[in-house]
Amino acid sequence: MVNENLVKDVVKEPYKYGFVTDIETEKIEKGLNEDIIKLISQKKEEPKFLLDFRLKAFKKWQKMKEPDWAALGYKKIDYQDIIYYSAPKQKEKISSLDEVDPKLLETFDKLGIPLTEQKKLTNVAVDAVFDSVSIATTFREELAEHGVIFCSISEAVKNHADLIEKYLGTVVPASDNYFAALNSAVFSDGSFVYIPKGVTCPMDLSSYFRINSGDSGQFERTLIIAEESSSVSYLEGCTAPMFDTNTLHAAVVELIALDDASIKYSTVQNWYAGDEEGIGGIFNFVTKRGKCLGKRSKISWSQVETGSAITWKYPSCLLLGEESVGEFYSVALTNNLQQADTGTKMIHIGPKTKSTIVSKGISAGNSKNSYRGLVKMGTKATGSRNYSQCDSMLIGDQASANTFPYIKSQQPNSEIEHEASTCRISEDQLFYLQSRGIEFEEAVSMMVSGFCRDVFNQLPMEFAAEADKLLALKLEGSVG
Amino acid sequence: MKIIEKIKTNKSDDNLTEIQKICLHKLQSNPLPNPKSELWRLSKKSKLSNFLDYSVNEKDSKFDIPYPKNSQSTIRLIIGENCQIKLIEKNYSIQQLSEDELQKYIKEQISFFKQNENWSDLLNLSLSCKNNILGLKINGSKIPPIEIFSHASSNSLNAKTLVIFLEKNCDVELLQVNLGKENSSLSQSTFFCLKENSSVNHGVVSYGENRSNLLNSLNVIQQKNSAYNLGSLHFKFNYARFEISIKQSAGNAKTNIKGMQITKKNEQISTYTKIEFNGPNGFLDQINKSLADDKSHAIFEGSIIVPKIAQRTDASQLSRNLLLSNLAQIDTKPQLEIIADDVKCKHGATISQLNEEELFYMRTRGITLTEASKLQLSSYFQEIISFIPISKDKWDLLDKLLNEN
Repeated sequence: MVNENLVKDVVKEPYKYGFVTDIETEKIEKGLNEDIIKLISQKKEEPKFLLDFRLKAFKKWQKMKEPDWAALGYKKIDYQDIIYYSAPKQKEKISSLDEVDPKLLETFDKLGIPLTEQKKLTNVAVDAVFDSVSIATTFREELAEHGVIFCSISEAVKNHADLIEKYLGTVVPASDNYFAALNSAVFSDGSFVYIPKGVTCPMDLSSYFRINSGDSGQFERTLIIAEESSSVSYLEGCTAPMFDTNTLHAAVVELIALDDASIKYSTVQNWYAGDEEGIGGIFNFVTKRGKCLGKRSKISWSQVETGSAITWKYPSCLLLGEESVGEFYSVALTNNLQQADTGTKMIHIGPKTKSTIVSKGISAGNSKNSYRGLVKMGTKATGSRNYSQCDSMLIGDQASANTFPYIKSQQPNSEIEHEASTCRISEDQLFYLQSRGIEFEEAVSMMVSGFCRDVFNQLPMEFAAEADKLLALKLEGSVG
Repeated sequence: MKIIEKIKTNKSDDNLTEIQKICLHKLQSNPLPNPKSELWRLSKKSKLSNFLDYSVNEKDSKFDIPYPKNSQSTIRLIIGENCQIKLIEKNYSIQQLSEDELQKYIKEQISFFKQNENWSDLLNLSLSCKNNILGLKINGSKIPPIEIFSHASSNSLNAKTLVIFLEKNCDVELLQVNLGKENSSLSQSTFFCLKENSSVNHGVVSYGENRSNLLNSLNVIQQKNSAYNLGSLHFKFNYARFEISIKQSAGNAKTNIKGMQITKKNEQISTYTKIEFNGPNGFLDQINKSLADDKSHAIFEGSIIVPKIAQRTDASQLSRNLLLSNLAQIDTKPQLEIIADDVKCKHGATISQLNEEELFYMRTRGITLTEASKLQLSSYFQEIISFIPISKDKWDLLDKLLNEN
């Protein structure tokens, strides 16, 4: 029998991003109504079409019911008790990073996010979002040389309104679901990426989301458009301070890939997960969807989900273009009282479309980790294929692992394969590693990392290393 | 929907048994299942209404048994035909359950029922009159094969209930045949209670004719060291639901399930299974096959529930599906819900059509396309059919599936 206490010790690393930055912020009053939405829109100097989009979404949201099918247990969210706009006070217009409040830069430095130009060597362009607004985007000039637009969505609304009007809400319509409607009504910032025809983005793009205040929700919106024959790799990271209250995060991500374009979207989600008793933590309700519009287009989601008290997230692909490809690689780790309900939807509409799903769930402590997925073959999806694999690992006898794959086919000339398994850390393997002089903790973390290797292989290199470390830290003290 | 009207307007009728009254009372506030729930979401509303559109028939008409009784020893019972049975032999005994035993057991079961999840059972028990409930207590070993028939007559709805207690160390082969006539609805509920060390090979073959409907529910409780093997086949129904609920009450039991459903024309046949392990060392091996052709729709939903107490459970579930037409549809949803950590659980699902390479190979050897398809189908069917306890010389199911259907 594995020493339970030892294993528990392995998962108990404190959350190191839990600090709060003491900075003056501008907040609007709590609550949600049409006036608040108008106020947000006014603060962001938005054109009329966007205000209409927000108000329409708000009307729809009011008529919708909060979904309960995921059977997640959390206390009811009071949507009138949330601040929908919070921004660090800074000078009106920032022309260079030198003008950004040094405290903010310090914060991102602490988080290990290279914002300052000296850190060019890392070759990653970053858009940093602090509470409701984007505070800085790096490497803009270099990207502009290639015609790549990478900026905050607020800037894009001002400078590229035509693109926003054309694409916003086309992948995730405002009425898609409860949280998407809420986001459409109140989204404050996020990133916008446009890769022109034939361009391979010269560097990885990254956005970093940071929630700083305890009473404001974060509602960011990301829109990525990859024109014909272009390609981009996009990374997303998230952290938040430790508060006793639950903070709401409801984001929407929309990806559009045209003919021969490819988008790779990687996430390392490490929002504050609450303490051992389940007090505090982020409620993470995210709608992510990509549309493979063009022929031979490809959208690949890879995610490492380790944080949040509640995760409700199903990055999906709509495979419309002929021979388009959708991929989903996920590692979800839950500990203590965390609950994660995550998975993907692969909707095959066009012919000869292909999708791959690899999902690894690790549940420790008293947590609940569910995979919920949908694979659908439409009537026109001739010659399409799907392969799904979901593995769960249970650590300790209090954690639960559920698998709910849903498969629907209306096309005989297509193939769907799904397999799932549940296991625990093998005592034989642990014994073997220990007998070779490897410490218990290291052995456990090696095995977990081996279990997740299929997914880590898909992550960009910097992220893969980070994810591996993150998992080891998160697991400290929990294996049993 | 005649039946629903009847349930809604039901006034206490002295002819009703106590069980019927309890079930009617449970159904009265919500006489129909929730169409938005996972269990009923895919069920076609019009087909369910059609099921409920016949008036209840409590008297049985004669019907043809599809194959002859080939051995004198086989015990054949027809639910509804006043089948009195009391066999006490040297090695075994088969007796009818006393009314008290029957009432007590069914009442206990009803107390666990939920309106939506057990709607089919509640409907069955509220409609099933005394004559249409058969309760058996089986004891001993070397028991001759038992065959139990249920059937629905044309233009009516028939409700039949079967309760079987398998006593300790008992070992039996039991085939249940559900037959639907043209324009008929059959509601069949079966309750199995397997005591310690007992084992059963249970076969369920259900087939209908034009526009016949079936709600077939099977509730099994397995005590320690019992073995339950189920082979099932459902075909030729306009609308059929097969709901299986198996509880290993103290673990240490074995369950093997091999089921198949075949849909053609405009039919919809679905299988829902729920297997709960309430103790350690449970074992499950389940395979469910579907074949959907023409404009039909086949559904499989299976859930495996492993709570903390069920350590060292070994469960596997496989859903294999053949989709043969552009207009047909298959939905499948295998599910695992696990809390215990020391378990081996896996599931798999595939949807495809006939293997083209195999077809091509056979055709290069001079076999026609039709014959080659038949050969492939027969191997697909055979795995399930061979698991149904019925010998080939009595009733050639494979032939029936390949040629008649």
